[in-house]
Amino acid sequence: MSDAGASHVRAALDRIVDRMLRASVLERIVIAIVSTTLALVIGAGIVALSGYDAVEFVYSLVYGAVGELSNVAFTLRQSTMLILAGVAVAVAFRAGVLNIGVQGQFVVGGFAATLAILFLTPLLPANTVAGVVLMVVAGGAAVAAGGAYGALPGLMKAYAGANEVITTIMLNFIASGVVYFLLDAYLRPPGAAAPNTESFPDYVDLPGFAFGSPSFSVIGFGIALVTVAVVYVYMTQTGSGYDLVTSGYQEPAAKYSGVDPNRMIVRTMTLSGMIAGLAGALFAVMILGYYSDPNTFPTFGFDAIAVSLLAANNPLGVIPAGLLFGGLDAGGQYIGFTLDVPSELVDGVIGLIVLFVAAPELFRAAGRYTGLGGDAG
Amino acid sequence: MSAVRDAIGGRSAFVGGLALLAAALLVFLVADVPGSDLVTVGAMERALQAATPIALAAIGGLYAEKSGVFNIGLEGFMIFGALFGAVTAWTASGGDGVGQADLWFGVLVATLVCGLLAALFAVLLIRYEADQIVAGLAVWFIGLGFGPFISTVVWGGVSSPSLPNIDNVVVPVLSEVPIAGRLFFDASPLVMFTVLLAVGAWVVLFRTRYGYWVQAAGENPEALDTAGVDVNRVRYATLVFSGLMAGLGGAVLSIGIGSGFTGTGVTMVDGRGWIAIVAYLFGNYNPLGTYGASLLFGAMDMLQIQLQTVGISLPGSITGLFPYVAVLVVLVVVGYTRVPAAVGEPYAKED
Repeated sequence: MSDAGASHVRAALDRIVDRMLRASVLERIVIAIVSTTLALVIGAGIVALSGYDAVEFVYSLVYGAVGELSNVAFTLRQSTMLILAGVAVAVAFRAGVLNIGVQGQFVVGGFAATLAILFLTPLLPANTVAGVVLMVVAGGAAVAAGGAYGALPGLMKAYAGANEVITTIMLNFIASGVVYFLLDAYLRPPGAAAPNTESFPDYVDLPGFAFGSPSFSVIGFGIALVTVAVVYVYMTQTGSGYDLVTSGYQEPAAKYSGVDPNRMIVRTMTLSGMIAGLAGALFAVMILGYYSDPNTFPTFGFDAIAVSLLAANNPLGVIPAGLLFGGLDAGGQYIGFTLDVPSELVDGVIGLIVLFVAAPELFRAAGRYTGLGGDAG
Repeated sequence: MSAVRDAIGGRSAFVGGLALLAAALLVFLVADVPGSDLVTVGAMERALQAATPIALAAIGGLYAEKSGVFNIGLEGFMIFGALFGAVTAWTASGGDGVGQADLWFGVLVATLVCGLLAALFAVLLIRYEADQIVAGLAVWFIGLGFGPFISTVVWGGVSSPSLPNIDNVVVPVLSEVPIAGRLFFDASPLVMFTVLLAVGAWVVLFRTRYGYWVQAAGENPEALDTAGVDVNRVRYATLVFSGLMAGLGGAVLSIGIGSGFTGTGVTMVDGRGWIAIVAYLFGNYNPLGTYGASLLFGAMDMLQIQLQTVGISLPGSITGLFPYVAVLVVLVVVGYTRVPAAVGEPYAKED
């Protein structure tokens, strides 16, 4: 075959693959939307069954998410955390490693950031420059600690065959327990009733800008977006990132091209843990301004699994999915205050979304049954 | 052939290990050697109690995985079991003076409800070929959300008020036997039941035709199909069984030996469903080995009390972590267990 002929075949193949990919992206978006809607309908049904007003529930959910500027700030604050944690999950899931331990890596990262700030503050002058230095050092410490805590189950999986789903869940429990112990025993100011550290100095905080919220900063949201961009470029444009993804999906192919799958597992878990650690630092600095008992923290690391799955583990898809879940979270807390509907309901709805996203065949079957989309066309 | 060798090697190692453990415990109980303060009849009683919910969920999960379906939702089903047990018993009593009959009714309903939920879950996994790991995680999330939600609707808070639990059964004469009498014949009937269940599960799995079907569904579904047995029906049955057992385990936790439902944090189940998965991996898919592993994790859970009685005082936040650390050690040391060949793969009949 001539070169021209070969390139012609190649171009045709590319077009077919391209179309298939686009179809599957579209299908995934449809599945994500249908899953979310179905889960919300079931949630509203349960609300009605429990004797609350379902219409008011849905209205309040939306109002709580975007109804006022302060609600939007809260939504964006939750979204910031969910996007960062979601990318941490997506990196791992993409590479075929099921890191359920983002919550633990997040807790450890936040704790490392706290230690860095509390120990270095007395050594530096009390001004904005020192604040920036402290935040940068804290971020670095969090990334290092989160990465190390992620590498641990990676090593266990790569070199001892220990199932990472279970080890990472155990490490979540251990992270919260140990951090609580250290906090309670060594970092709690004498006489304090709650197991909290001392507050960080005022100049260690991200400015709020337009939103004027003490616990949300546009800079934090920006950090999340930049992280997404960096991860996306790494995974699609670099050889190292390519190896990571192929070793997850095409282990034999990756092996053939000389990639050591064990090293890929450790590298994936480390990277995932680093991002989770960064999320922890942001949580400590932007949201709390001190550190506290991790058992009382929001479960960003778990909700992030839903975020990543909804985004089909695509780093860019994590942004809309994170915004959606941030809104659900904010709305859920709002109904908890105003309607007296327990906010745990929203956690259950998130679980339902994950369940439906896990079963795309369910929707394909429904599509065939109703004659819509898919095979009917 | 290597599978046969594994099984034989595994069994002799297992029996040896069990004998060694029993001998060691007896020495600690009877003789006065360093560390013997840690092993008392009371401690063993507590370990048996703590092991019971784990063992129940683990034996169910073992059957599901043996048949080729990974039920990673055990933790979630346990949460629902714990919740519905408490809700049913409380509702049946009309809100005041929960009696023994109410408690037994609660245990029964919780078991059946979780069996039903597992049947729905099975449809998603088998018919709609859902991702087993992700769907299993989803069950946990749903439990973490709706468990405390339902509790709040019923009691106005994420936890139930304090409830009584099921009385011990005292077997005349046998309860007078030293050590074993107090452990098994003056104990919660649920502890007894679980020991019998482990033995029964072993007999069914390795000595009956149905057990061979379960194993074949996980190892070689095509062959089972050729032999005229519906692979997916076997898998539906084991998944429903695992739901029933996880539900029972949860109910045991809340009203069998506990004192009501706790919904704070990750609820009172607190990782026991995940530990159950490790228990059957550690037990090498053998129901008796699984019971032994559950006992180990149960003992770890109770170690805190024992350490206190001998004057070693560690904070609860640290001793509470022992079972999780034990799980990590087990997974790293035992590491790779031979998973049934067809686990995780939906079976589609070719016709």
